[in-house]
Amino acid sequence: MTEKTAAKPAASSDRPVDPMADRPAPNLKWMGITHQWGTRVKPGKHGLRLGDLNVGIYGEVPAVWNDQTRNPRGAVARRGIPPVGYAIRDKADLWADSAADMYEEAIQRRWAPAVDVPWASIAPLPDAVEQAVCQVMTELSQYANVDVEAVTHWQHQMAYGYHEVKQYLATVSFDAARHMEVFRKRALCNGGGLGLEGPGEVNRMILESRGGWTETVLYLFLMRGLFTQTLLRYLEQHAHNHAERAIYTNCIEDKARHLTYGIDHLWYAINHQNDQKLIVNQLCIIGERILVRELKDPVLREALAIIFAGGIEHASGKGIATYEQMLGDFVRRYLDTLKWLGVERTILFPPELAGYVGKGAR
Amino acid sequence: MSEARVWPAEADLDLGWMKQRGEWGMKATPSKQGLTLADIQIGSYGDPVDRSDNQTGRPRGAAARPNSYRIGGYAVVNKSEIWLENASFLYEEALQRQWSSATDVPWHTIKPLRDDIEQAQCQLATFLTEVEFVAGDVPARWISNTTPDYFEPRQCLLAQVMDESRHMDVFRKRALANGGGLMLTSGGTAGVVGSIDLARDFTEMSSRLHISGEGAVLTIFRMGELMAYNDAEKAIYRLCAQDEARHVAFGVMHMRYMHETAPERHEEIQCYLDEAERQILAGSQNPAGNQTDASEALAILLGGGKDKYDDGLNKLLAIRKRQVQEYIKRVRSTGFGARFDNGRSQLTEMLNQAAA
Repeated sequence: MTEKTAAKPAASSDRPVDPMADRPAPNLKWMGITHQWGTRVKPGKHGLRLGDLNVGIYGEVPAVWNDQTRNPRGAVARRGIPPVGYAIRDKADLWADSAADMYEEAIQRRWAPAVDVPWASIAPLPDAVEQAVCQVMTELSQYANVDVEAVTHWQHQMAYGYHEVKQYLATVSFDAARHMEVFRKRALCNGGGLGLEGPGEVNRMILESRGGWTETVLYLFLMRGLFTQTLLRYLEQHAHNHAERAIYTNCIEDKARHLTYGIDHLWYAINHQNDQKLIVNQLCIIGERILVRELKDPVLREALAIIFAGGIEHASGKGIATYEQMLGDFVRRYLDTLKWLGVERTILFPPELAGYVGKGAR
Repeated sequence: MSEARVWPAEADLDLGWMKQRGEWGMKATPSKQGLTLADIQIGSYGDPVDRSDNQTGRPRGAAARPNSYRIGGYAVVNKSEIWLENASFLYEEALQRQWSSATDVPWHTIKPLRDDIEQAQCQLATFLTEVEFVAGDVPARWISNTTPDYFEPRQCLLAQVMDESRHMDVFRKRALANGGGLMLTSGGTAGVVGSIDLARDFTEMSSRLHISGEGAVLTIFRMGELMAYNDAEKAIYRLCAQDEARHVAFGVMHMRYMHETAPERHEEIQCYLDEAERQILAGSQNPAGNQTDASEALAILLGGGKDKYDDGLNKLLAIRKRQVQEYIKRVRSTGFGARFDNGRSQLTEMLNQAAA
């Protein structure tokens, strides 16, 4: 293609500074400017970890971070710098004590779907089972897409002073990218394809939880995350080959880290903000109703029932019974986690979910 | 609590969904590098549309539900706005080349340095801690604004956010590992017009972030051997350069795609390059820029001390020259290189003068 751009000689004020001609004398005014010198952090048994750096002033994490620039915590800020515009500047709105550890763990436990899944172990399955697997993969891939979009929507709004959380969330969205990818790969490698998109009720709730990151954490990590992790555990128990087992096992590990951050942050938020416990309770009431509506959609339920029963024939019996057991596990873990956070879900808890509390205790 | 079911009784399976699905019969097979993203570009699944109407977030190729909510709110829905031909490859490479700043850097090789050198190292590390996550924050925002129909570029950007997070952490670690500390920030990443942060078009952002910004930093990282004082620092620069090279490749390949598919935007892109060239060498986001704190620190590191500043400055000028040469080469490879021949860009003239 021919380039048709017009020659546009730059005006003298527009000219770049000549990089080769300029030899200014140094001013070196930056030398000796530091809030704390003499820091010597040594690597431990697991190397030099992010959390190890939190010594002296570098480990002081203030309750509010008003600096709207990218001044690293503990560095000397310049005055008069135009703001970047971070919306989340209160520690209680994002913090979790475990973030630095989870960040390093995520890096240590990295995996690649291309090579860490034994794809060659996948063999043809009965048509209905393959279609059920593909349907579940489609919905899980869409869940992972919501993880990506929700986290990346908030991440750049978080102040630099809480860099551990920003860095940890980089691992979460990268995990989610891998999940999107691996579920898609599974759907396209065994004679099937993608199925029908999910109903999107819970997706909408997560993406529209724009009241604050804490609200997103509740819906994304606790409600959806716990549901997905429980589902993956059941899929792992019913895997058809080593490849599927590897996929589910790796994803469960990733999800466990996400859940750890989620619970840790909710605990921090509830214990450092007035009314937060009541707000979480209120958000649960709203979220549970939406979850119940989504559970009424037959697609995911029936696809899982077919997988759990090994085919359509026993799907409505054994398959649905296993599905109910799975929901029972989910609801109990959900309620137990909230209880640990100090949120007792007694008011307006949906009877549709309450019905599973006693089902299939394991 | 009462017992209740949210679905019909046994034997009432609907199964209508089994008739609604994407293209069927796909059998992607692993290649030599495993089952890669490129391997699953088969049938209609490998053929993203030029303009996406997917606002529900469904995976590309899945069957749509007519009653789905339009929850995406995606701003980037045209392929030419974000696409590049080798995104699958860059993403898989990013996955394979992930590294850990905790364990893949031989921290024990760091020994006490002369105070002026340690200060210079810490000043440079402070600067890099500050700027590296610009390239984390900004792509993150674009990811959530891009339709999942173009998920391959999004996957690359997600890998970039991860990479930049590691860069932010490894330079903080370096600053705090050898008896020093963080020093003075540059403020060069402020939200001013023409900055990477404020671009409202992806290609505009990418031209600043990937082509000029990260391109300039890549040249510096590749010179890491010259400014490193131990194996730990050498490892840091080498590993960061590897990541940065992927990010630059993303920008180059995207701009090349834009050049080939959107001729109506050529003049606009040239304007972004005009801006980038005004800032690439003198701007405070370039660690080798003119008389910034970071460039002074670099000169000290390159020379071997404050007392050998002039030697260091000579090497710094050589690095700047190389930054320009590499930038020109990259822009030429995107198809926008006529600017260096028709007088629009001043960079070639400067290089010629320097050579004379």
